[in-house]
Amino acid sequence: MEQRRQKLTLHASLQPKTKMSKTSIFMKDVVRDKYLYLLLLPGLLYLLVFKYLPMYGVVIAFKDYNILMGVMESPWVGFEQFQRLFRTPDFMQIFMNTFIISFLKLLFGFPAPIIIALLLNELRNMAFKRFTQSVLYLPHFLSWVVFAGIITAFLNPVDGVVNFIIKAFDGTPIDFLTSKEYFRSILVSTEVYKEMGWGTIIYLAAMTGVNPDMYEAARIDGANKLQQMWHITLPAIRPVILIMLILSLGNILEAGFLQVYLLYNPLVYDVADIIDTYVYRRGIQEANYSLATAAGVFKSVIALVLIYTANKIVKKSGNEGLW
Amino acid sequence: MVGLSKGEKIFNYCNYVFMVLLLILMLYPFWYILMGSLSDSKLAVGGGLFLIPVGFSVDAYTAILQNSAFLSSLGTTLITTIAGTAIGTFFTATTAYALSKSRLRGGVFFAFIVLFTMLFNGGLVPNYLLIKELGMMNSLWALILPNAINAFNVFVMMSFFRGIPNELEEAAKIDGANDLTIFFRIVLPLSKPVLATIGLFIAVFYWNDFFSTILYINDKDMWQLQAYLRNLIENTSMAIRGGSGTAVTAQMNVSPFTIRMASIIIATVPILIVYPFLQKHFAKGAMIGSIKG
Repeated sequence: MEQRRQKLTLHASLQPKTKMSKTSIFMKDVVRDKYLYLLLLPGLLYLLVFKYLPMYGVVIAFKDYNILMGVMESPWVGFEQFQRLFRTPDFMQIFMNTFIISFLKLLFGFPAPIIIALLLNELRNMAFKRFTQSVLYLPHFLSWVVFAGIITAFLNPVDGVVNFIIKAFDGTPIDFLTSKEYFRSILVSTEVYKEMGWGTIIYLAAMTGVNPDMYEAARIDGANKLQQMWHITLPAIRPVILIMLILSLGNILEAGFLQVYLLYNPLVYDVADIIDTYVYRRGIQEANYSLATAAGVFKSVIALVLIYTANKIVKKSGNEGLW
Repeated sequence: MVGLSKGEKIFNYCNYVFMVLLLILMLYPFWYILMGSLSDSKLAVGGGLFLIPVGFSVDAYTAILQNSAFLSSLGTTLITTIAGTAIGTFFTATTAYALSKSRLRGGVFFAFIVLFTMLFNGGLVPNYLLIKELGMMNSLWALILPNAINAFNVFVMMSFFRGIPNELEEAAKIDGANDLTIFFRIVLPLSKPVLATIGLFIAVFYWNDFFSTILYINDKDMWQLQAYLRNLIENTSMAIRGGSGTAVTAQMNVSPFTIRMASIIIATVPILIVYPFLQKHFAKGAMIGSIKG
């Protein structure tokens, strides 16, 4: 008996990593953690149904989707939907609208939170700083429906406060939301207004990591506030800025569906119709499911290429990228 | 510590002035809407509203609160918000807890499955067709399920769970507790802050959700509040412009001008109420999210 046990332990220690024992350890671990898998299961099933099935549904961009046959049975048509899409006379215009609106939002919306974060960081009165932050973050949590309501209330040609001021100075009232001239500016400015405060959070967090001694040393050397921001704070948060920039470039075709949808009207389609609103009108309202999905796929592919390129450029220039 | 130089004093002064101007810019629109909602509807239509209400009346609020379409949309939104928040928070927690255990076999793979949903999604039409093919059109499920769990929230919770000391669990294990009892009896009670934060984020999403109604609901009795609000704003805008679309406000017997403003306020107040709680933890959440994203 004693001998046998010794033999067994010896045997096991000689071959600790055979294939058998590896699988049995694995199975033992799985059985040990059975309740963890049980906790994981509903979440995974949920993602498979509500996130991965739609991902698979993207194949209808390469099919002629027929509502009676469903996603699986509809016939394949290759790139026909894409050809149809590019032949659509308005599509180039819609693509350019998407790009221009989103580019303008990036141009103004990207630096705004950085500048505000730099200035907030200089506030020494903590109660005032906290209050300002609270007010600045708030619009992020309000719906675009509420915002669109406020915007129309302000810009209304009949009783809006903006036109009231114009009339007070003897000007002619302007119907801003039906004017091709003003519509994009309204989209850009209201987007920046809503999100700039929320955008400061990430930069403010990065700024707390800067060693205060550096500012003190700079001051002794005679650096003024702006020089301190430029030479100490900005370099310190540069990695975060670059990562945020890569992410925003990946979103360059996200021109803000809900905002445009809630504010636009046929009078400004020429300047306001974006890929997402086009997908909604053609896809959901007119039931051109395959064509609209192709437009969505086209958008995703461009986004993927852009984020990849941006990451590459950032890494080539010696900085840390996303991956 | 060197005293403030003249230049720094000027900078600070300018900075405070700038911040105060920014605050006014951020607050004025809401103030304007609030004052508009409290104005006397007949007087306010002529303009002249800037800082204080023109006349004073709460007729717009009483009219909305008695409107049956408003009440039914509020009911729908309360149901979807409560159910969505409960389902979403609970299953976000269970998923995140399992993934937070580095000993879990296949954990890295499962985490990637979650992460990938942040990088790529099917898009509008495939999501719509899914709900259609699942037979959920025109049901509350279509308003609740598609947005219940998202990867961002899972990762925020996961990083919180990783911060809970392992010793607590090991002690419970020695006492014979299994992972389920540990999760329900020890981890969840310790995680109230993160559950509250994620729960509030989810709740705000459901409260603000408008597009699910547009996509999935035909029956007006099942509209969410934001869809009702949107419809009301469109109607009143048309009414103000002198067109048709007066139906909604005509039956309320108050001017569209004040109705619109009062309804905006009503849709905003619940957010303002939860906002202080929301603020307590969201900075941390936003940071984790942007690193992961």
